[in-house]
Amino acid sequence: SLDDSQSAAVATLRSDHFEMEPETMETKSLTDYFNKMHRDVMMGMP
Amino acid sequence: MADCSNLKVRMEASCLELALEGERLCKVGDYHVGVSFFESAIQVGTEDLQILSAIYSQLGNAYFHLHDYNKALEYHRHDLTLTRTIGDQLGEAKASGNLGNTLKVLGRYDEAAVCCQRHLDISRMLHDKVGQARALYNYGNVYHAKGKNICWSGMDPGDFPEEARIALKKATEYYEANLAIVKELGDRAAQGRTYGNLGNSHYLLGNFQDAVLAHEQRLLIAKEFGDRAAERRAYCNLGNAYIFLGQFEVAAEHYKRTLQLSRQLKDRAVEAQACYSLGNTYTLLQDYERAIDYHLKHLIIAQDLKDRIGEGRACWSLGNAYTALGNHEQAMSFAEKHLEISKEIGDRGGELTARM
Repeated sequence: SLDDSQSAAVATLRSDHFEMEPETMETKSLTDYFNKMHRDVMMGMP
Repeated sequence: MADCSNLKVRMEASCLELALEGERLCKVGDYHVGVSFFESAIQVGTEDLQILSAIYSQLGNAYFHLHDYNKALEYHRHDLTLTRTIGDQLGEAKASGNLGNTLKVLGRYDEAAVCCQRHLDISRMLHDKVGQARALYNYGNVYHAKGKNICWSGMDPGDFPEEARIALKKATEYYEANLAIVKELGDRAAQGRTYGNLGNSHYLLGNFQDAVLAHEQRLLIAKEFGDRAAERRAYCNLGNAYIFLGQFEVAAEHYKRTLQLSRQLKDRAVEAQACYSLGNTYTLLQDYERAIDYHLKHLIIAQDLKDRIGEGRACWSLGNAYTALGNHEQAMSFAEKHLEISKEIGDRGGELTARM
C-alpha cells in the first residue's frame, strides 16, 4: 500500500497535466484571392 | 460618375492592401498589429464580399490566437452570416468550423457540436475529403473537452461519471473516423495531431494501454517532422499513461525526455511541470532524494515565474518527501511555507492540508 507521500504524489499526477494537440482553424487566404484576381485580369487582356 | 468610380477602385485597392498586410503580420505571429490592419480594412470597406469574408475569418482567427474568444466569436459569426447570404458553401463550411472551435473553447459544447455537424455536412455534400477530416477532428475535440469538463478534479482517469465517459467515447469515435480519412489522404501531420488527442481521450477513459499505443504513434510522427514541441507533448502524455500502468521507471524516462525538450524549447512552464511530475514519480519509486531534487528544481522555476500556486505545490511535495526521509525540521519548514502560500492565494483545501 502507498504511504502518505506516495498517496500525495498519485493525487498530484492526476488528469490535469496532459497536453492537447492544437486546434486547426480554417483559413481564407487573401493572398491566394489576390493572385487569382491578378491572373484573371491578365488572362482577360487582349 | 467617373470620380465616384475612381473612388471605388481606390477604396477596394486600399481595403485589400490593408487586409493583405494584416494577413502577412498574422502569418509571422504579430496578431495585435495584424488585427489593427484588418480593422482598418473594414473601416475603408469593400464591395467584394469574398474579401470581406476572408477579413472576418482572419480577424476571428487572430482574436482566437490572442485568446480573446468573444471577439473571435463575433467575427466568425459575421463570416457565417455573410457566407450564407452569398451562398458560398465552402466559405460557410469553414466559418462553421472556426465557430465550432471558438464555442468549444468558451465551453458551449452543444452549440459547438452543431457547428461541427454543419462543417461535416457541407464537406460531405461538396465531396471535400480534407474538409470532412478537419470537421471530424474538431468534432472529436468538442466531445473530448465536454467529457473532460464534466470530470471533476481529483478523480482518477477512468473513474469519471457516465456522462463524461459517453462524451469521451464519442470523441474517440470521431478521432477514429478522422484517422480513416487522413490515412487515405496520406496526411501524416493530421494523423499526428489526431493520435495525440485520441491518446488523451483513451487516457481519460482509463484505457491506458490504448493511450500508450496512440501516443507512440504521435511520437513517431513528431520525429518524422522534427516537431520537437509535438515530441515533448507525446513524451509527457506517455509518462502520464505509464504512471497509471504502474510502470514508474518507464514514466520517469519519458518525463526526463519531456524535461530535456522543454529546456531545448526554452519553455519554463513545461520545464516546471516536468520537474514536478518527476518529483512525484520518484516519490512513487520511494527514491526521496531524487524526488526532493526535482521538487526543488520545480520550486525554483515556480519562484522565477512568480507562480504562487506552483510554489505552494512544490512546498507541499517537499514537506511530504522530507517527512518520508524523517527530516522533520525541513518538513515543518516547507509545510509552514505551504500554509503561508495557501492562505495568501485563498486555497482553503491547501490550508487545511498544511495544518494537518
